[in-house]
Amino acid sequence: MKRNNLAVLIVVFCLILAGGMINSGEVAASETIRLGFVADISGVGATFYKGQKAAVDLFIEEANAAGGVLGKKLEVIVRDAQLKPDIGANMARELILSEKCDFLIGPTSSAVALAATKVAQEFKKIIYFHTSNTEALTTTDFQPYMFQVVPNTGEEGRGAALFMSQRPYKRYAYIGPDYAYGHDQFKAFKGELGKLKADAELQEIVWVKLGETNFSPYIPILMSKNPEAIFSSFWGGQLSSFVKQAKPYGVFNKAALYSLFDLDMLRVTGMDMPEGLLGYSRCPFYAIDNPEMKAFVKKYYEKNKEWPADWAAMAYDGLIALTDAIKKANSTDSDQVVKALEGLKFKSLRGERYIRPEDHMANVGIYVGVTAKNPDFKDFLVLKDVVEVPAEKILLSVEEVKKLQAEKK
Amino acid sequence: MKTHTVDTTRWRFTNWIAGIIVTAALFVLPFILAKFGRTGEFWIWVTTEMIINALFALSLNLILGYGGMVSFGHAAFFGVGAYTVALLMKKAGVPLYLALLSAPFTAAIAAAVIGWFCVRLIGLYFAILTLAFGQLLYMVAFQWYTFTGGDDGIHGIPRPEFLGPVNYYLLCLIIFLACFLIMRMIVNSSFGLSIRTIRENMERAKFIGINVKRYQWINFIIAGAFAGLAGGLLTELNRFAQTEFLHWSKSAEPIFASLVGGMYSLVGPVIGSTLLMFLKIVLQQLHKSMVEMWAIILGLILLLVVLFAPGGLVGIFHRLLGKTES
Amino acid sequence: MSAEYYLFMLINGLSQGMLLFIVASGLSLVFGVLRVINFAHGSIYMIGAFVAYSLSTLLTGTSLASFLLLLLVVPPAIALLGFVLEVSLFRRVYREEHLLQLLLTYALVLILDNVVRMIWGGDPRNVARPEILAGSVDLMGMALPTYNVFILLVGPVIALGLWLLLYRTRAGNVIRAAVSYPDILGALGVNVSWVMTATFMLGCWLAGLGGVLVAALANVDLSIGMEKIIECFAVVVIGGLGSVGGALLGSLIIGVGITFFQLPFGRWALVFPYFVMALVLIIRPWGLFGRPER
Repeated sequence: MKRNNLAVLIVVFCLILAGGMINSGEVAASETIRLGFVADISGVGATFYKGQKAAVDLFIEEANAAGGVLGKKLEVIVRDAQLKPDIGANMARELILSEKCDFLIGPTSSAVALAATKVAQEFKKIIYFHTSNTEALTTTDFQPYMFQVVPNTGEEGRGAALFMSQRPYKRYAYIGPDYAYGHDQFKAFKGELGKLKADAELQEIVWVKLGETNFSPYIPILMSKNPEAIFSSFWGGQLSSFVKQAKPYGVFNKAALYSLFDLDMLRVTGMDMPEGLLGYSRCPFYAIDNPEMKAFVKKYYEKNKEWPADWAAMAYDGLIALTDAIKKANSTDSDQVVKALEGLKFKSLRGERYIRPEDHMANVGIYVGVTAKNPDFKDFLVLKDVVEVPAEKILLSVEEVKKLQAEKK
Repeated sequence: MKTHTVDTTRWRFTNWIAGIIVTAALFVLPFILAKFGRTGEFWIWVTTEMIINALFALSLNLILGYGGMVSFGHAAFFGVGAYTVALLMKKAGVPLYLALLSAPFTAAIAAAVIGWFCVRLIGLYFAILTLAFGQLLYMVAFQWYTFTGGDDGIHGIPRPEFLGPVNYYLLCLIIFLACFLIMRMIVNSSFGLSIRTIRENMERAKFIGINVKRYQWINFIIAGAFAGLAGGLLTELNRFAQTEFLHWSKSAEPIFASLVGGMYSLVGPVIGSTLLMFLKIVLQQLHKSMVEMWAIILGLILLLVVLFAPGGLVGIFHRLLGKTES
Repeated sequence: MSAEYYLFMLINGLSQGMLLFIVASGLSLVFGVLRVINFAHGSIYMIGAFVAYSLSTLLTGTSLASFLLLLLVVPPAIALLGFVLEVSLFRRVYREEHLLQLLLTYALVLILDNVVRMIWGGDPRNVARPEILAGSVDLMGMALPTYNVFILLVGPVIALGLWLLLYRTRAGNVIRAAVSYPDILGALGVNVSWVMTATFMLGCWLAGLGGVLVAALANVDLSIGMEKIIECFAVVVIGGLGSVGGALLGSLIIGVGITFFQLPFGRWALVFPYFVMALVLIIRPWGLFGRPER
């Protein structure tokens, strides 16, 4: 009896061996440059993914039509991290080991990003971040095989404190998703608010699970001490849902909400979005006026029949920087590309930018404005009176970054 | 409860030979795979995970198959072991071997506390209480952001230089084999016999003087300790610990493994766990859409097993060989 | 914080509890009569929500009429799904050990949840609240969403309906007898398997109703099934397996508890239901209104 069980065990392991051999044989990797996309496809990240993928596809199409990069064609392979760091780490590993990817494109979730960046470091494959943006990625959890083209949580938190403190609010409340992104933004916000406005009271701080869809248990607590201003780290689908549910609780009659009003969120919320809310965006195409952006928007709209969200534009920007670095290094070897990236000046869709050598952070800022209806866009609101807050104003200085990097365990 | 043929305590000579062949093959495997570059490394990682999951499945089966108790919260101990290793190594800089020694220890403590309450109940209520405690621990890990990192998990756990993929595989294999032999000893000892007696007929066990609660409690603790060790090993393999390790869906994995492979032997859960993992990986490699389909396929497999073959694969073999479950 | 605000929070918490009650009562009934803990109850609730969403996309406008149509049509459709599941699967495992029943229902969760993913995808969806319910109700100067008040009122209606059904109709008597005296029931000439099927369908009807209600309250996505079943477990354990009154009490305790415990404990309030669940199991395993298992 036991014998047969063990026989099965032997057979099973022989199968494993065979399975390993079936997959053996390197893919003609020298012919293409494989980009592994650790994406957050399902869950609240779903809306963001579509734009990111469309932009990546557009870039690859254009690049390949122009002869590829260093004569090699680009291709992208996607895996779904489902906003979960453990799945994200495993997917990143799979993309590198099993799919033989040369470079990784980062996720939406900052928690997944923190997990994936460790995998990238372990296998020495460069990953770039276009949406996930916890400041930890360039400070305490910095590793050289990465770069970032999206403004980080520190900038956003400090930017929020900067703008909100200019208004006469005294009582503040905060509500945000209970993961790295929310915590980092909040920390930066709190620190800067304390510096700028000593008499500001930060009263209720409400943490909600990322992806939570029902806010009825949380809104009364948030409003319990009558805040005048609310800073929220919710984003995308979760923010949209929160705004819709907060409205009948009278939240917008009492308090001003400041949060990330990117194009996807505005689209999803549609005409339910209150007007006159102060908020920020990371790459609002409608407020950025330069030929590269205009050309990109035109091509993107023609192909996808919709406007490019912030994430689409930044995912595209990341590929501009990456391929520029590959060309400059004349190689796809990670170490050489990293060297080429440091100090690289590239023509992003937002204008001329460069990548800081100390933390591989592009000097990108945020765009602050007020929600308003716009005749060019029938089904959703956008930001008006947009002001660009340059990175230099809200990024940590190189010394501060170096200090944090040394802290990492 | 149905009675089932009690495990033989004596292995025939041919079983020993088979065992040695399999063990040798397992030791040689990583070296062969290492020849296949990145694909090989991927499969080394997969097989290491298989070994760890097999250990986890075995640990649960001490309670489930041998003890006859359904625990839906076993992942709690897996998770406690996992976070023990993660926290000790990342936050306290403890070396790996000490962390791995601590994992079953902390898991055993958790199992002692939780088990003390659970063994006071039987049957369905036992199962639900294990679920409740499991969920409780999961929520604690989730909410205690400053300590456990909450949903972010703990990432970037160090790995000693000399433990590359092949060496870590071998380490896990050795630990697994040691645990397997220890469990075999336990199962075949008088303690194990008492546990099985309790499973068959609790009243009778009491009549012959077995302290049922005490024995079940001890069994629970032992099972928890092994689960903790498995959790610690997985944490070091992945170099992260995540709250998902404590989720009740993680508790379901070893139950499935034992169900599919057969819960009345030591080899059954190993076979079930390995087979299910293997099936999942192969299917996912075939086509990306299989990732969604895998859960459905798993559900269907389970459905079929529950409806038509509750004895699992091992049970099927018994029937094929003309041996019935009396 | 003023006394009025506490009242406001209480009412808000009660409305959340009522929604939970509607779903959990179904689980409780199914256990009481069929003696099966249906893990898939949460998935069935989720299917109700998604079906409501799909149906709402076919209807135009946000009138009360189309919303009522959803309430009228979707729960019976889900009950029909329940019929199919009961006859094809659940019936086969009544005689089996609890473990196999649990595993069967868990296998169903895997299948149903991922079929939902395949049909509707990973995006969150929702149903627009009908205009008349989309606004606020003024409560001593504080605004409570009308829709939350609506749910607060639907809860007792369902509770009353269930009470009438169980205590004032013949069918209800049979169901209660099935809960308390299952062995004798067959001997009394009752078609026991019919009772089981009908009860299961009722449970699914309740889950489906909960699904429609939540689809207009908040976004629905693939995670709500698994979340709900765990909450329902807590309710049913606290209230007692098989007791609808217990389910009501348990739901309200949890709904209000989560709201109020946030004041001192912040997000640790979410641990509260499981803590109480464990406590009840340790002190009084059959729940507040349950009966000791024979």
